Amino acid sequence: MSRSEAEVLAGIAEVARTHVGFQGYLSPELRLVEDLELDSLKMLTLALEVENHFRVCLDQEAAIETVGDLVAAIRAGLDG
Amino acid sequence: MAEPRTLGALLARAAGFPDTGLRLLDRFEREHWLPWPAIHERARAAAGRIRGAGVAAGERVALVYPTGEGFFDAFFGSLLAGAVPVPLYPPVRLGRLAEYSARTAAMLEAVGTRLVLADPGVRRLLGEAVERARPALGCRTLDELGDGASFEAAVDERALALIQFSSGTTVEPKPVALSQRAVLAQTRILNGLWPPRADGVDSGVSWLPLYHDMGLIGCVLPALERPGTLTLIPPELFVTRPAVWLRTISRHRATLSPAPNFAYSLCVDKIRDEELAGVDLSCWRVALNGAEPVAPRVLRAFCARFARWGFRAEALTPVYGLSEATLAVTFSELGRGFASRRFDRERLAAAAEAREHPDGIELVSVGRPLPGFSLEIRDPEGRALSAGRVGRVQVRGPSLMDGYLGRPEATAEALRDGWLDTGDLGFLHGGELFLTGRAKDVLILRGRCHAPSEVEHAVDAVDGVRTGCTVAVSHLPEGAAGEELLLLLEARRELAAADYPALGAAAARAVRSATGLAPDRVAVLAPGSLPRTSSGKLRRQEALRRWLAGELRPPAPVTPIRLAGAVARSALAMARSRRARGRG
Repeated sequence: MSRSEAEVLAGIAEVARTHVGFQGYLSPELRLVEDLELDSLKMLTLALEVENHFRVCLDQEAAIETVGDLVAAIRAGLDG
Repeated sequence: MAEPRTLGALLARAAGFPDTGLRLLDRFEREHWLPWPAIHERARAAAGRIRGAGVAAGERVALVYPTGEGFFDAFFGSLLAGAVPVPLYPPVRLGRLAEYSARTAAMLEAVGTRLVLADPGVRRLLGEAVERARPALGCRTLDELGDGASFEAAVDERALALIQFSSGTTVEPKPVALSQRAVLAQTRILNGLWPPRADGVDSGVSWLPLYHDMGLIGCVLPALERPGTLTLIPPELFVTRPAVWLRTISRHRATLSPAPNFAYSLCVDKIRDEELAGVDLSCWRVALNGAEPVAPRVLRAFCARFARWGFRAEALTPVYGLSEATLAVTFSELGRGFASRRFDRERLAAAAEAREHPDGIELVSVGRPLPGFSLEIRDPEGRALSAGRVGRVQVRGPSLMDGYLGRPEATAEALRDGWLDTGDLGFLHGGELFLTGRAKDVLILRGRCHAPSEVEHAVDAVDGVRTGCTVAVSHLPEGAAGEELLLLLEARRELAAADYPALGAAAARAVRSATGLAPDRVAVLAPGSLPRTSSGKLRRQEALRRWLAGELRPPAPVTPIRLAGAVARSALAMARSRRARGRG
């Protein structure tokens, strides 16, 4: 079942809040590394928890740089 | 049958024990059983393919795999092909791929990689690293190598068994070359610590990555040598669900399981009671703690938290080692629990002398040298120091590295007359080793070594920082839960002190973004504050010493309160001067 961008974004925000304590506002243009300010352990946690949450596998995606890329990759994974 | 002298011979012997092997958990905690006979058979097939692809004896094959059966096909396949496996870590998820590629390319080049073998899932992410390093046979999955007849090379015990990196770095990767003899010696010493017992067989559980010495050499190889059974958890599963580690130990009645200090801390912080329903940790006889400094606070918290589930405090076993010695050098006495002592801070700092003091700093013993190893504490001129004097820890033993591959100068610095200079500082007390710090420049964070230069380069790019005037050091502050990353940096002369806090924040962001490491503390200093050598090189350990001694202070930050104080003081001074004038 496909989900809207807004739904996926809200899901990522929930995961980020619950699992890595991200307090800010998530928008698609934010860059994961530079803007979210997560260290590598938190980044790994976010990646894995997002996978668990949406039941998708992202480990073959090379070009996820922004929150928007992540949303697109998850939506592609959900459709696939 | 003669005692096996190589890893390949150990595998051939283990193939005769079908009840032993590796139990692999996938990311959903499902188990997959891989007995040693199957591992051997698959490795023979892989070896045929690796030979067929054009890899000759002694050539290096880099392995990039997550924890799973593919790793073992490639690792043992390379060994049976007579090649030298070089396990590297797989790409990070989400971003930071540029840093990964640069680092991986540097490591591939440093060992003169002939072939990169990769898991099909991560291979796409290796493109840039492989393009830069240009290994002769490229980057392939095992399946792509085509079929070859099963193969098993005869390998000399003096040949290299594997290469591991002491710290992954783009600047100066140091490939630690370990002979078959060294690796087997270390493996046998470890197994000698837990001989077969009347009341059962020891078995292990590990979530440690297979590119980490404590995971591969400390867990997999002893299981191969016994031969015994080891349960492996993917590291990323542990990081997100640390309870899986404890549940797995309980489910399989495992007796041995190691981890760095941070893992014990993560368990205390993250595991919820309901995740441990039915768990019984009383089987866990040896909870090794190594690869980073041991924090007494964490050990106590772990015992207090998990005693309810049967965890026995006496299982905690702090150990010490380094990749240049293959792995372990000292072990605490098994079954004793961790032992700590308090030492006079002043004497340690000022006189490099350890004297017990009831209110002193608490240090944890990492135990005594393993059988076959000797320790010496030496002063900077190389003279042996007596017990209680702090100096450089020197090690001699049967599992020292052959050297850094292709780096004769670095090798000559580390190995002299059969002694390895560990670069660590410590002292002997009651025959046991206590570590106090490091003489070498390395950051140890979450069980992994990092080069300070990478962090410092990231800071150099920040506007307002004096180029080349940043020091990154890590240390275990008293009472902390783990090593902390400290940045000391000099601001440019034209920068006002009021802008220092913003500069510090920008530097921390730059480090996180470039390296994934989060600085715990950033101090912005006036130009010229940091200690240098006569040739102008920054002295990192001296900078840390001065920082800890309070000799390196940022200029007083101008906060509203201090500003008010300054105004008041100057008002008083004005008044005094007026009075003085009035009298005059």
